[in-house]
This record gives sequence, C-alpha cells and structure tokens, in this order.
Amino acid sequence: MSAPTLTTDTPLTTQGPATSGRPVPGSIPVPATGRPRVLRWIRSGARALWGAGAVVLFLLLWELGPLYLAPASTRVFLPPLHEVLAALGTLVAKGQLQNHLAASLTRSASGFGIAVVSAVIMGLLVAWYGALDRFLNPLLEVFRNTAALALLPVFTLLLGIGETSKISIVAYAAFFPVLLNTIAGVRTVDPLLIRAARSLGLSNVGLFQKVILPSAVPTIFTGIRMAGTSSILVLIAAEMVGAKAGLGYLIVNAQSSFLIPDMYAGILTVALLGLAVNYLLVGVERRFSRWRTGVGSGTA
Amino acid sequence: MTQSPTPKISLHTIGKTFTVRPTKDAPLGSTLTALDGITLDVAAGEFLTLVGPSGSGKTTLLDLLAGLTRPDTGKVLVDGKEVTGPGKDRAVVFQQYALFPWRTAAANVSFGLEGPGPDGKRLSRRERAERARTYLDLVGLGGFEDRYPHELSGGMKQRVAIARSLAYEPDILLMDEPFAALDAQTREQLQDELLRIWRTTGKTIIFITHGIEEAVYLGQRVAVLSSRPGRLKEIVPIDLGERTGERDIRSDPAFVERRHKVWSLLHDEVLKAQQAGHAKILPDGTAPDQTPQTLSGKAA
Repeated sequence: MSAPTLTTDTPLTTQGPATSGRPVPGSIPVPATGRPRVLRWIRSGARALWGAGAVVLFLLLWELGPLYLAPASTRVFLPPLHEVLAALGTLVAKGQLQNHLAASLTRSASGFGIAVVSAVIMGLLVAWYGALDRFLNPLLEVFRNTAALALLPVFTLLLGIGETSKISIVAYAAFFPVLLNTIAGVRTVDPLLIRAARSLGLSNVGLFQKVILPSAVPTIFTGIRMAGTSSILVLIAAEMVGAKAGLGYLIVNAQSSFLIPDMYAGILTVALLGLAVNYLLVGVERRFSRWRTGVGSGTA
Repeated sequence: MTQSPTPKISLHTIGKTFTVRPTKDAPLGSTLTALDGITLDVAAGEFLTLVGPSGSGKTTLLDLLAGLTRPDTGKVLVDGKEVTGPGKDRAVVFQQYALFPWRTAAANVSFGLEGPGPDGKRLSRRERAERARTYLDLVGLGGFEDRYPHELSGGMKQRVAIARSLAYEPDILLMDEPFAALDAQTREQLQDELLRIWRTTGKTIIFITHGIEEAVYLGQRVAVLSSRPGRLKEIVPIDLGERTGERDIRSDPAFVERRHKVWSLLHDEVLKAQQAGHAKILPDGTAPDQTPQTLSGKAA
C-alpha cells in the first residue's frame, strides 16, 4: 500500500505553490527532456532506500545495541554484527561453512526433489480419479495436519540418524504443500478449455499434457515455493537433533561449545539460504507463469 | 436452398435426455429431456443459424454435432457416416473464446495442428507457424502472433478462436453464440468478416445465436427450436441474396419481414420458457431451474 501514496504525493506538491524544496515545473532550469528522468531517478532511489531502510536499521541496531545499550553480560550472548561477520569469515576461510552448507543443501535438495516429483504425480492422479480422492483424502488430511517435526523421533527410530531419515523428513514436509496445490490446480482448470481441447480431438494423454498440466503450473509452483521454505525449516530442526554436519548441527554445536559468534554466523547463513531459495523459486515461478495477468504474480 | 443428394450434416430424430442429480426437493432424481425428435439436413457449404429460447437445448445439439456427447435416440450423420466422437472434420467456436491463456495467439491457432493430420503426417514447427500466420491474417490479426490472450480485446480473442478452428481446415464450423459477449459494433464487424470467410472458404456453418437479427442476417436458413424439450419448430428460409456489406440490408423491408417472422415464432416459445422458469442447461446436464415435482405449484 505504500507504493500508491508515494506516487500520488508528487502531483499534489506540484499543484500548489512552491512550499517545499521539490522541483516545481518551471522553477528549476533543467532541460525539458532531462527533468522527468532525473525525477524518476530520485523517486526510484528514494523507493529503494525506503525498501532497504528496515533491514539497514535492524543491522545498525544489531551492531550498536550490544555495544552501547546492553550490559556487558548480555554482550557475550549477543555479539555485535562485526564480530559475527568476522566469525563467518573465519568459518569460510577454514572451509567449515562450505562443508556444513553442502551437507544441508544436499539433504534438502534430495528431499525436496523427491517430494516435488512424487507429489505432482500423485496430485494429478488424485485430482483426475475421483474414487482415489475419496479413498485417500481422509488419510492425507490426517498426515497433512500432523506436524512434520512431531514425526522426527519416528523417522530417527526407523531410519537411523543417517542421511536417510533427514532426507525422508524433508521429503515428508515438502510433499503436502505440493500435493494439495497440484490437486487444487488440476481441479480449477477451466472446463471450457477441456471442452475446447476435446472438440479438437485430443486424447486423454494429450489433454493432460497440453491443457491440464500447463494450466495447473502456476498453482503447482505456489506449492513448490511453500515446500522450498518448509524443507529448509524442517531440515535445520532435524540437523539440530542428531547430525554430524549441516547448518543446524553448526548452530547447536557452536552454542554448546560456547562459540557464540559462530552460532550467529550459522543462523545468518540459514536466513540467507532461505531468502536465496525463495527468490530462486519465485524467479522460476515467474518464468513459468508469464502468461498470467498481473494479479498474484508479484508474490515475493 | 438447393439440397444436394447426400447432405453434409444429417440429424435423424435426435433425442437427448439428462439424468438430474438427486436434490433435496427431488430426492429420487429426475430426468430432463433436452432435445426431442429433431430431424434436420444441412447441405454442404450452407450457413444455417439456430435460434431458440434459453434451455431449449441449442448447446446440447451443438455438442452432439461436435461429438462431445452422444444422442440417446436417433443418429447424427456427417457425410453419411455416423458421428461417434470429436473429429477434425468439425470445429467448434465457443462463446467464451476458450483460448489457452498460456499460449500466444499463433500457438493457440496451431494447437489443432500438433497431432497427426488427416493424412497421418505431422506438420513441422515451421509449417505450423506458417499456417498460423496465414489464418491470423485471414481473420485480420496479422502482426499479433506473439500476443498472449490477456493482451487482446474480446473481439480479437474471438478472431483468434475462429482462426484456430479454421487452421486445421475442417469442413464444418460449429459456432455457439460466438459473438454474444462482444459489443454491438465489434459484433457487426465480425458478422461481416464471418460471411466473408464463409464465402472464401466454402465451409458449412451451423451458428447458434440468441439474436434474431443476427440469425436472419447471417443464415441462409434459420432453424427455430421450441422451448424445452427442444423440438424443431420451423425452418425459415432467408432468401435475401448476397450480403456484401455495401448496403444496409437490415432496414430492407424483406429483411424486416423475415426478422418479424422469426420473432413471432420465437416469441411464444420464449414466453413459455419464461413461465416455466427455464434456465440454461449446464454441461453436466442439470439446469438450475429444475424442480420437476413441484413445477406447477411453484409457478402459481
């Protein structure tokens, strides 16, 4: 909602007599073609600054708060930003961070990949065959509403503390958002498009490939994006409980070894990883739903 | 119109009944007779328009011709052969355009060209693009090949839909109120273009419409359906010669006389349909107005 107010205040100030330092038409000798461009630069610059403002303020608070506001005892548990960045640098230099990151990425990517492929296939089947849906839906509802982490002990007991249990729980957590969105996407295909495709003589397979899947892709991608977020979430938690490597392990291990800056470095990496994954998936989603009209494409 | 010995399309005592889902008012369910005993021949290259009140089964009749549903009684023959399913000898143009929103105009037009053709050969990508361009040119949309449907106006979308139907070169064009959603000016323009395309391509066209004037203007014959159950009430020949768009044929006394004839035929049926509260029959065979047991009681 902040964007419209930013754009409407310009004409308001230019209408009235020059009350502020803003460029008023005619008052500043700028070439006629240059003025709008300069204005646009200023406006987009101001908007970028405003958009980054909250993050910058937060980082400043993190840097200065522990130094000047907090008592010395707290400073140990909440080191200022530069100490955390220094710890991060050391971890990178020693290659530790890369190892943990690689371990986490491998697990989440495998689990996520398994989940996406199986959930899309199952979603298509469930949405297409009503009987299958009626049969499976109650069970799926039960599983969907069981928090993935509540099942972590079960996974660990059955599959051990190795990679299998972690990949499985990531796959489990990522499975349901993709499944539900695939079902929703197939269900909401415009029946008219199906009639049109049928009148063009398409077989069931062709119908799936050329009408149902493309039309469901945007909805499926919304599910994939949600799955990406939750796969990282669940993975970090799983690594905190029992692992020998990974970002979750790094965080917990640093805490218990009293390497507090290292712990924060791990948390910061997790945050950045989550952001990167989300932006990547948003980008892919946009690439595949270019044909959709503006509504809903700006989700970030 | 002169009837050729073997008509292009031949309907023999067509009847279609839908089973209505049980509802609270009618717990046992009921049946809905959409069409009853329709017999009609259409000559090759003829332009036949079809009018009837809401719920008289016009769209059902078109679905039967397209092969999207099968009749319960009677036979639909095309070129003397019974219609058993959709085929590339017939094309349907829908009121709501039914364009695939993830495909550009050109990709929409080439949709029907992607499978094996009537001779079993597949067209190459370049041939398909070439054909799409030809037909977009024919409907006056040259230069709009790369636009997505949401970037086109209603009239342009319907032009794309018509081009898509023509592109795989069917003999028969089935049109279900194709211009109903357009504004009056665009509609008149497209009517003239349709006549031009009909003259240049020599297709057999069956055109469903609500508009009496449209029916009389476009058709060589106007078939009037009765209110539900749809029966063929009368066929009005429209012998007005060529519509070249040069003169205002709509105010010609002969045109007005034909228009009035169709209007009076339709008027009683529309009144009957209104009193019975008939609404459009939905694709699943139900009609929102359907309360068979208490119909007379509700109307009073």
